[in-house]
Formats: sequence, structure tokens, C-alpha cells
Amino acid sequence: MQFYRVCGLSVASEIGLPGLIAGAPERTPQVRIRRGPVPEDLPEPSACGPTWQIAGKQFLLRIPDIARFLLNDGSEIVVAPETDAGAADIPIFLLGTVFGILLHQREQVVLHASAVRVNGRAVLFCGSSGAGKSTLAAALAQRGYPLVTDDFCTLTVDDQDRKQAAPLVHPDGRQLKLWAQAIERLDLAQQRGERVRASLEKYYVEPGDVFTEPLALGAVYALREARPPHAPGIDKPNVVDAALLLRRNAYRPLLVRRLDQKANYFHAATTIANVAGIFHLTRALDFAKMPEVIGSLERHWLELRLTEKAA
Amino acid sequence: MTKTIWLASYPKSGNTWFRMLVANLSATDGNPVDINDLPERGSIASARGPFDHLLLIDSGLLTFDEIDGLRPLVYEELARGVDDDEYDAPHDTPAVRFVKVHDAYTLTPNGQPLLAGRRGADAAIVIVRDPRDVAPSLANHNHGSIDDAITFMNDDDAGFCVRTNRQHSQFRQKLPGWSGHIASWLEQTDIPLHLIRYEDLRADTVDTLRAALDFAGRPAADAEIRRAVGYADFAELRRQEEEKGFSERPRPHLGGRFFRRGTAGGWRDGLSIGQVARIEAAHAPMMRRLRYEPAGATPLARTA
Repeated sequence: MQFYRVCGLSVASEIGLPGLIAGAPERTPQVRIRRGPVPEDLPEPSACGPTWQIAGKQFLLRIPDIARFLLNDGSEIVVAPETDAGAADIPIFLLGTVFGILLHQREQVVLHASAVRVNGRAVLFCGSSGAGKSTLAAALAQRGYPLVTDDFCTLTVDDQDRKQAAPLVHPDGRQLKLWAQAIERLDLAQQRGERVRASLEKYYVEPGDVFTEPLALGAVYALREARPPHAPGIDKPNVVDAALLLRRNAYRPLLVRRLDQKANYFHAATTIANVAGIFHLTRALDFAKMPEVIGSLERHWLELRLTEKAA
Repeated sequence: MTKTIWLASYPKSGNTWFRMLVANLSATDGNPVDINDLPERGSIASARGPFDHLLLIDSGLLTFDEIDGLRPLVYEELARGVDDDEYDAPHDTPAVRFVKVHDAYTLTPNGQPLLAGRRGADAAIVIVRDPRDVAPSLANHNHGSIDDAITFMNDDDAGFCVRTNRQHSQFRQKLPGWSGHIASWLEQTDIPLHLIRYEDLRADTVDTLRAALDFAGRPAADAEIRRAVGYADFAELRRQEEEKGFSERPRPHLGGRFFRRGTAGGWRDGLSIGQVARIEAAHAPMMRRLRYEPAGATPLARTA
């Protein structure tokens, strides 16, 4: 059994999870991961898609030729490999989509986002797969803003004092995942680790500083490619659009509806809009423009008083 | 139940123009629809978003072949009327959902039709264009030379979004040569097919469009069709692109235009004799089948 922290949760796992820092044993971990039999179907599912089924507090996900995953009430993941060849690829899916679903089951606000630390606060970059989250986080890490989390990110919103308290972001020290082209263009070959899967030119990249303390949220940016009618820049959508934007950038928007979490996201969006801010960051998907994008973010952080002008 | 109709074509063959025509059928407020704000929602079949959204699997962790193996599940789901995204605004369900697709009609590694056969769509409208006019348009699209575009059109292993060192915004689309691509669609027997020649759509837009709409099961009144044809006139599309840009242009930061010439037969003053010969050597049988007469050894009708 190995012990980890994932998005602030204590995890005990029979399956090693590369890319995470192993921690001290816990007597009562919040999440257990074990191998075991997983059915092909759940009895009387209340909702299902081509690769998943929901029945009560159970969630079944099938990744064909890799494994089936049964999630029980947000506290247990049972894994049944489908093929011997696929077994090596289980951890990457476990830590990605499977854990993301588990966080939805736990009714946490989980965003499809990478985050960096800016002057002690977490700044999030949201977007769907391919939007450039990890690449931007890597470029910012090079510029001295350490990585907080990659790919997805949980927020805890304090109910007691919603006008004042910024939601907390829980880092888990996971490594970045970057494609070969991004590693080359950002000159990160020195930090390149293993391939995330043997069949992909996508690699783990050492993030540099690693820390595990929760951080107060500083700002949320939804990434958008500059295409007509959207010109490059940073803008602030109105609160209604911001709430929708947050929900659309949930790690799996489909589950927000299916697991009846809309109210949670709406509440989170109002809080974030009050204490931190939700913005669009529109930019060309072009490595050559990266310094310009970082420059505009740094100016924006000054405006937001996230940072102070150097003396 | 909304019908799904593939709008299938080799790239640069009039697919987007056809979609603009259809979109303008519902432009009832006295203005052409905004080219960046088409009322239809279903984007291109190779889009990544619906896959990740509906399967809950990160396609960025899958190989091209693994993705292809799962794509039929997405098309079945969408054809059943499942939303491809999460929006709040209720949207009316149209009688027909036209979905652009550039993929050749191929089978997955498991032997399933990539586009899920009859479970993925009710029928297909296939739009073809003289390959000698496709070549210069494709060169512009790819920011490359005409010779490179011809090499691409003659390559049985060609495709869009094929690089493995990055994540393309769309899935790999197999484009096994201009002839091979069209043959894959004409020879599939899973779904009924209606063939449109770009040249006929140019020459007689109203009648060609009407026939396609009748086939698709979305008949329109004559006045509606005439108005749409006016609104989606090539000059209007170009005017809008010049004024505000076009969201579907690939790699927007490289500049250039999507709506370029929109002509039929422009190759006569745009291609060299050698370029024409290369295209015809590779594609003469399919060209003849589609009534694109190869110039062959006869001198080009080129005016001084």
C-alpha cells in the first residue's frame, strides 16, 4: 500500500501513482484505490453514456483495452485491468479522468485547470484539452511562478464568510505533462522525464519547486484562442457569463449536471467573482507570442493588486 | 427526431460555402448571418470537444488509432440527440443537423465504420470540386506552395492533424489522396448519398441547393432559397471576412484569407502545365467519373 495526497485528499493505493509524492501512512485515508473485480454493467443505472454508468453512489467508467474503474461513493476506486498491455497505462488515467470523477462524486468544485503561484496566491488557467493550460503553466514556472497543479484543480469554498474568504486551491505536487513540441519550444529538455504512456510523445516534466500547502485563490482565467470575433487580451465577463464559464470549465461539465452540482458551481462562481475574479485570457496559440502573453498577465496582476511593483 | 446528414468533402471543395447557404435559410431578420456566428451548433466531425465531453476520457492521452476506435461511439451518441456541450440556453431542435466532415469514409482498427455507419448519420451529401481548382485553394489554406498541395493530394497516406509531437485541436483526418477520399465516400454502402459538384453549385446555386435540401429532408420554399443564395454570395462572405475575420480559418495568426476566389475553372490561369499534368496523371479516372475532363496532351486554352 502506498500513500499520497491528491487535491488535498489522503489516498491509500495498491497501485503506484508515478508523478505524485508518496506520503506517510494514514490510518483512515479518505480514498482507497485497489485492484478487484469490476462488473461490465451496473444494475439499474440512472444515467449512462457510451463509456460510463451511474447507479446511486456508484460510478462505472470503462476505458476500452485499458481498464474498468468502479467508484464507490467518492471514497473507493476499484480497478480491473482489461488487458495485460493496458495495465501499465492505468495510473495516468487513474490520476486524470478517474480521480476527477471521484472529486465530482465528493461534490467538490473541480476545474479543468492548471495553476501557478503568484505572490502566495493560486492563479488558475482553465480550458479544455488542448487549450494550452500546461504549456502556459510551464512557461510561467520558468518565469518564477511555481507550479501549483496541472490539468485539474479542486477549490474549497468556505461557506461561513463568503464575502471575504477566497476559496482554497489544493496542490498535490503532481508533475506537468507536456508534448514533445512544447518541451522543445520552451527549452525544457533538461527537466523532461518519462513518457506518460509508451505510445505517446507526451512526457512528464519536473515542475521545479513543489509544495503542498493550500493556497488562497488569486484569479481564474479561462483560456481562449484568438480567433474572430475574439481579439487577444484579457476581459472580464459579467457575473452571469462568469458563472456559466466556470461550469463549462468544470473538469467534466457533463457530470456537473448528471451529479446535480449546478448550485455548487454557481455558488463558487459568485464567491470567486467577489474575492478574486474570473477572466477570459484570449491569445494566439503561438509559442512566439508567449512572452507577450506573460507580459499582459503580469500587468494584469499588478492591476488586480495580486503583485506589487518592484521598487 | 433530428436527422443527421454528413456534409462530406475533400478540403477546399465548397463545404463551408454550403454550410453558409444552409445557415442563411434561417436568416429572417433582413441580414445575412454572421459568418462567425452560425446558428447551427454541430461543428466538424473531427472536433475534439464532444469526444472528451461525452466519453469522459481525455483524448489527449490516447493514440490516433485508439481515438478512432472510440469515435463511432461519439457519433452514435450525437445522432441520438445528446448535447455535445453544456449550454444553458434552450435551443430548438432542427429537422436536420448538417455536420461537416473531411475524414475519408474509413474503418476503425476494429473494422467499424469510423463515422458509425447508419447509427452515426441518416445520409451524406458529398461535395466534390475539380482537383485542379482544389490545388491552389489548398495551397493557400496550408500556407504552402501549389506543388506541395498537389503532392498532398496525390498521397494515399496524407491527412490533416497527423503530427504526433503535439495535440492538434482536431483529430487526425485521413485524406488518402483526392481520388481515394472521394472513392471512399462514393463506394461506401452504409448510408444513402447525394453528390454535388461544386461547379454545379456555382452555376445554378438555387436548383442545386434545392435538390440537396430535398434529399436531406429539409425542404425550403423558393423565396427562402433565393434569399439564402443572395446572403451567402461569395462577395458577401469575402466582405464579412475582410471586415471582421473568419473564425474557421486555420492558424489565424499566420494571416491570409479563407474565402479566396470561389471560382470554377480558375486553374486555367493559375496552374502551370506541369502542375496540371501531375494532377491528371494521378486522378484522371476519378476526374472522368465526375465529369472533370482532363486537358491531357491538348494545349491549355490559355488566352494571351
